[in-house]
Amino acid sequence: MSEPTANEHRRAARPEERSERGGEQALTEPMTDMTSGRHRRQYVTRRVEQRQRERDLLELGRHGPNLPEAAIRVHADRVRAELAGEKDRWRKGFTRRRLIAGAGAVGVAALGSQLVTSRYAFAADPTNTRTLVVIFLRGGMDGLSVIVPGGDANLRRARPNIGIDVAALLPLDSRFGLHPALAPLQPFWQSGQMTAVHAVASPDASRSHFQAQECIERGTATTSMHTGWLDRTLTAMGPGTTFRAIAEGDATPRSLVGAEHKLVMDGIQSFALSGAGNVRDKTMAALEALYTGFDHPAASFAINTVKALNSARKIADARYETTADYGGGGFANRMRDVARLIKAKAGLRLATIDVGGWDMHTGLGNVDGGDMRNSLTDVGRVLGAFATDLGTQLGDVTVVTMTEFGRRVAENGNAGTDHGHGSLMMLLGGGLVGGKVHGKWPGLAPDALDNGDLAGANDYRDVMAEVLERGFGIGDVKPIFPDHEYARIGVMK
Amino acid sequence: MEGLGAEGLADSPAAAAAVAAAATPTWPTPLGRDPELHLLRRATFGPTLLDVVAVKQIGVDAWLERQLHPPGISDPAGDDVLGLYPTVSMSTDQIRANVKENDWLAMQELGHATLARQMWSARQLYEVMVDFWANHLNVTNPFDGGWDVRTPYDNDVIRAHAFGKFSDMLLASARHPAMMRYLDNASSQKRSVNENYGRELLELHTLGRDGGYTEVDVRNSAYIMTGRTVNREGQFTYDARRHWTGEVKVMEFTDPNGNAAAGMDLGDSFVHWLAFHPATATRVAHKLARRFVCDDPPQSLVDRLKQSYLDNGSAVVPMLRTLFSSVEFWMSNGLKTRRPHENVLATARIVGVTPGDNTKQGVEGIYNLTNQLGQAPLKWGPPDGYADVAEAWGSAHATLGTWNAHRAVIQARFKGVASPKPETFVGLMPATVGEYLDTISLRLLHQPMLAEHKGALLAFLGAEEATEVKTITLNNKIQHVVPLVLDSVYHALR
Repeated sequence: MSEPTANEHRRAARPEERSERGGEQALTEPMTDMTSGRHRRQYVTRRVEQRQRERDLLELGRHGPNLPEAAIRVHADRVRAELAGEKDRWRKGFTRRRLIAGAGAVGVAALGSQLVTSRYAFAADPTNTRTLVVIFLRGGMDGLSVIVPGGDANLRRARPNIGIDVAALLPLDSRFGLHPALAPLQPFWQSGQMTAVHAVASPDASRSHFQAQECIERGTATTSMHTGWLDRTLTAMGPGTTFRAIAEGDATPRSLVGAEHKLVMDGIQSFALSGAGNVRDKTMAALEALYTGFDHPAASFAINTVKALNSARKIADARYETTADYGGGGFANRMRDVARLIKAKAGLRLATIDVGGWDMHTGLGNVDGGDMRNSLTDVGRVLGAFATDLGTQLGDVTVVTMTEFGRRVAENGNAGTDHGHGSLMMLLGGGLVGGKVHGKWPGLAPDALDNGDLAGANDYRDVMAEVLERGFGIGDVKPIFPDHEYARIGVMK
Repeated sequence: MEGLGAEGLADSPAAAAAVAAAATPTWPTPLGRDPELHLLRRATFGPTLLDVVAVKQIGVDAWLERQLHPPGISDPAGDDVLGLYPTVSMSTDQIRANVKENDWLAMQELGHATLARQMWSARQLYEVMVDFWANHLNVTNPFDGGWDVRTPYDNDVIRAHAFGKFSDMLLASARHPAMMRYLDNASSQKRSVNENYGRELLELHTLGRDGGYTEVDVRNSAYIMTGRTVNREGQFTYDARRHWTGEVKVMEFTDPNGNAAAGMDLGDSFVHWLAFHPATATRVAHKLARRFVCDDPPQSLVDRLKQSYLDNGSAVVPMLRTLFSSVEFWMSNGLKTRRPHENVLATARIVGVTPGDNTKQGVEGIYNLTNQLGQAPLKWGPPDGYADVAEAWGSAHATLGTWNAHRAVIQARFKGVASPKPETFVGLMPATVGEYLDTISLRLLHQPMLAEHKGALLAFLGAEEATEVKTITLNNKIQHVVPLVLDSVYHALR
């Protein structure tokens, strides 16, 4: 006898079903020879069975307009009955692994669980509620055009067309001046809420965009590190609200790759159900009801999402009033959104934003016009507006800009600059040591350069480790930047 | 770790399903225990209507047998996809002849074609395994350096061996320009050894972090693989001058390695040794069980799959046969959560999205959606591939993203592909709203919802079980209530 198929097994288990199928077959099954007694008995048995099947079919026919339809509905009834029996079992099946709401992150699968539970939780860590905003200037920003070693003869010689006149610079300290397009930031420099570290690089970054970004965002030279440094930072920061980490944009940056939950959105208003039209409230209510009444990790994910959506809606619906003028554009909108979220006290601890366009190989321009001036005008206006917008709350924030590498000291043949090495990090917010550009300054003498580029005299990880340690209460930064011995630069009090 | 309620190896998938049906699951879930549907949810990217009819007609054994022999499955839809994306079938030479240098067109077509095949190919189990292996031996698509070599990697390494032997696949990956470039082995040489590939070969491709190797082993692994590089035409080449010589030792594998000319063969021997190391067998078995059964698979199953791997020279199909004849597989209804990419595909397939008047545009739209959700096919950056546990995808971002994806599909916002109007799910207009919802549930979820979930939808509609249905579109509310059906837990699990 052949192996029973699953269908046959099910027929055995459910006699009604067998007779349904038997019923259909009976209609076409030929009558056998009735001459022998054995056949007579079989004939009688088959007649009885056939009448039973016909009754079943009539019964079945009541369930729907045609047999297949009816069969589906009968099957559904059976499944429903089965589920009803199982209902309480699966509904309570995960009680032993109920997510712990409230303070504390939920650990990975409790013993015996078949679904790994969420690491996400509700309550924010009460001891440090500051917000870190990391702005990655993609393309390799020319730090020497932004915070300029004014009067450096080497620079003057190397950049006849794109150099910035000392007279045009806004004074920062005895050695450096600020590109005038960043004028909105000057007051914050003067009040000690803005500082900078120059000649910053990752020692392992090459002059390839991809490799350098990957290396810096990974936070270690070890290519086997699959998470990003900001994901590891989130782990160190501890549990928080759904809005704990937000990548403003449309993709998760490499620095945030990892298991920690984060939101990716282009503005809080985009964190919403789309296509729900004017039934959004009813839809949210339905979603909540669809995931209430049973205990399952999927239910927790769903309810958390509903709660987050409701919170986002409240924030998005409240008109955002500010006197600060961010201007227009993607960067402006995203920074305004970050400010809004901070002020809404949604529990935002970390925000990332990308600003592109810094790969100025050609037409970098000069102080009067060109790509650098335009880009810096945007940055200055937006960051200045952000700082103004936050007002006294600026002290609860640290904004950091970084870039994958700087540019060559000498301009190229297209009045631009090619990929270099050391560049600039700017910091804005509370707890900073103001009044000067920090870190070692190697200078621009030819023998101080790294293959013709500003040397990487300071490690970007030292800047970030210090910010995290002193600004965000992270006791041990080693897991965030493994394979690196952190040396304090002195940017934070 | 606790079991699933029953375990063991049966003589056939159907027999294993029978044992499972009679047993009581330790982890009951909302999904029905219908074995045909369970098989489809796991062995495809989501059941289509046709799939359900087919497997019920011929039974699980016959259906699986067909799927395990892809060349025997006529696949016009899959062939059409290849026609839409010509670079997908090209060799490196052909890509270099047809695509501008450093243009990422071929990689873009590969990403889109992969998604389209997952959506429409009749060789579903094969596509599932291609996805599985592509993640295991991940080479991100697109990546910097892959413009001419990433597409052939898909064909020559992954697809060629997805139903073959893992050892062959691994050997092929160890001599493919895409892998050499992606993990920096192309620039690794005796004067400047780059450990990236040597490390990931041990950590990700074979033994795993607990495999027992040390940092010194990693270094030696990198030494062994030096010399394997890519020439200026994008072809793999072994350059003996770049090969590091001297004794090498990686755990129990040792070799004097005195002759650079023999370095290629040495590397192949090493890769072969790695492929058949018990730790590798365990790791592949565990990953396969995690993909097909549950996030934390029972040891009984992992051991059985490991044994199959070792007994059959790392052949994939025997492992799959063992998997589907394991009672554990059939006990695990609903124990996997659909990841965003799986959820989008399952939605498209059960709804019945098909090629339309601008299929490439439609596919690109769906691809971009999966990218927004963080799971575009082949696009995971680091070499470890997409995580395959529910927790990794439990963020509000991913959950909201799948809910929005349901609305986008039902409201036909993907231009270029054809999406059936949701009214067609209802068939003949039912008399009452209750029946209407039952019909939709059966059509999209293959089972009725629990009374309270149906109640949530009734409340949404402001109706009761017996309320009369006036229009087939429920006064246009169908475009909102059908996505809610897909948002429910019954579609979220597999």
